[in-house]
Amino acid sequence: MRIRTFRARTVAAAMSAARAELGPDALMLGTRRVADGVELTAATEPEEEIAPVVPVAPAPVAAPPRDHAVEQALAAHGLPEGLRAALATGPNLAARLAEALRFEDLPLGPSGALLVVGPPGAGKTLTVAKLATRLRLAGQTPRVIAADGRRAGAVEQLAAFTRLLGIDLIAAPHPATVLRALAQGRGEAPALIDTAGLDPFDAADREEIAALAAASGAAIALVLPAGMDAMEAAESAEAMAEAGARHLLATRLDLARRIGAVPAAAIGGALAIAEGGTGPGAADGLAPLTAEALAARLLTPPSARPARASAA
Amino acid sequence: MTARATASVATLAATIPEPLARPAGRLIAIASGKGGVGKTWLAITLSHALAQRGGSVLLVDGDLGLANVDVQIGLAVAHDLSGLLKGESAEALATAVPDAGFSVLAGRSGSGALAQLVPEQIETILAGLAAARRYDHVVLDIGAGLDRTARRLASVADTLLVVTTEEPTALTDAYACLKLAAIDRPGGDRRVVVNMAGTQATGERTWLTLRKAAENFLKLSPPLAGVIRRDVRVSEAIRRQVPFLTRHPASEAAADIGRLAASLAP
Repeated sequence: MRIRTFRARTVAAAMSAARAELGPDALMLGTRRVADGVELTAATEPEEEIAPVVPVAPAPVAAPPRDHAVEQALAAHGLPEGLRAALATGPNLAARLAEALRFEDLPLGPSGALLVVGPPGAGKTLTVAKLATRLRLAGQTPRVIAADGRRAGAVEQLAAFTRLLGIDLIAAPHPATVLRALAQGRGEAPALIDTAGLDPFDAADREEIAALAAASGAAIALVLPAGMDAMEAAESAEAMAEAGARHLLATRLDLARRIGAVPAAAIGGALAIAEGGTGPGAADGLAPLTAEALAARLLTPPSARPARASAA
Repeated sequence: MTARATASVATLAATIPEPLARPAGRLIAIASGKGGVGKTWLAITLSHALAQRGGSVLLVDGDLGLANVDVQIGLAVAHDLSGLLKGESAEALATAVPDAGFSVLAGRSGSGALAQLVPEQIETILAGLAAARRYDHVVLDIGAGLDRTARRLASVADTLLVVTTEEPTALTDAYACLKLAAIDRPGGDRRVVVNMAGTQATGERTWLTLRKAAENFLKLSPPLAGVIRRDVRVSEAIRRQVPFLTRHPASEAAADIGRLAASLAP
């Protein structure tokens, strides 16, 4: 495009000057007043054929280094080849985990709301109870919502915990009641929402959670047992990431001997690793999971798993 | 959806060394064609503002060979983009900007190796950036000029911000940028930023002029991403090598950048 400006006493005079110079097809882009008349900006576009930029094959890079001791340790935890190669790039596994994965706290500020989701039996309810206990011990009064309307006894199980904590459990069997419960008291304390067990590979289940998160503004944390199959965990996490899951809560780290599912899920779903279940105690059975702690567990052979902490 | 998910994790597990190559955050590229329109300043300040909104941000200096992001903010960098050609990760090569919440992947190299990259190496660098999955936003500052490298970098962006000022020369080059981007990536997300605007109104008029030309000649209607008002303190902050939002957080230009960041990361 060629842009020219023309000054004249009148718009008509400026336009004829533009047409005289740029031709009859000149496009008038705009005018503005100047001291002794108008300034007209006009443009023409020459005919030209421009070929698009075509991508070429990338230049090869040197294969990343591999640390065989680390790779063997990861294999013992059930991590498949590709994920092992990604993580066993050097002797310092903690540094590599910190670099390749994300480790973040759960979004549990005063106006935070967390949808705790996962397959049946993953440990969602106990995880909610543990999070509520921690918040309570920190002097807060979390709003605990049981959205698990389908399973007999699900609400009672959580109610037993909230009674001990002196918190009212809000039973919300339908999405609409969850939204109403969340709207009340928002901004005062974080909300924890226990949900019914879902099938990560079922589109309807995912959509239901995604819709609830979208309507409520709640973040989604995926609960998976540390001992599940690593590929199963990676695929579950990837599917749930599509529904909006951003954080990973790994349960039963104290019971599992092979915990490859934890890094696999974090990679598969690009989830931030938040917490790990470390024991049955409501007060001390859940702790933020750091790159160092995860690396230490992965470098421990399954047969040498630390003894389980006793119940508080 | 699940079939896709399953297949991609399976691929993930079978390929080396790209198991982490899940798409990262949004790639926002910043181009202008013309130099001197404040593109690098905009890239830095936008990265800063996105980080302040809570995202994790990597600023990539794609002005290969003439890069100066690190100089503008007085950042000592130990690594640069050329490490991607050796198979190192963007995360490992990035340098955190103290107290600003974003990281910089520098484009300056002591050896000058980045100045003469062949197209194949550009692809390797793009693959390395695509594997940088730790970030919510990757902001790519593309060098002045409309050569093959600049066009290829612009074509992979999820969002291309075309920067202009109110000068006719800048407008002409911004138009050329839009035109080439439409050829290289039909249907892409392209938006206009008017930098160093006299006022919000004159900035919007500049965008309308550009849009009118694009609508008539290219059948494109690029939306306005934002107007950044001229602020003499910008060059002062650059001279002092301090990030602008650190030095002048309450300025009009900072507010303008904040609005731009909000529109990109609602």
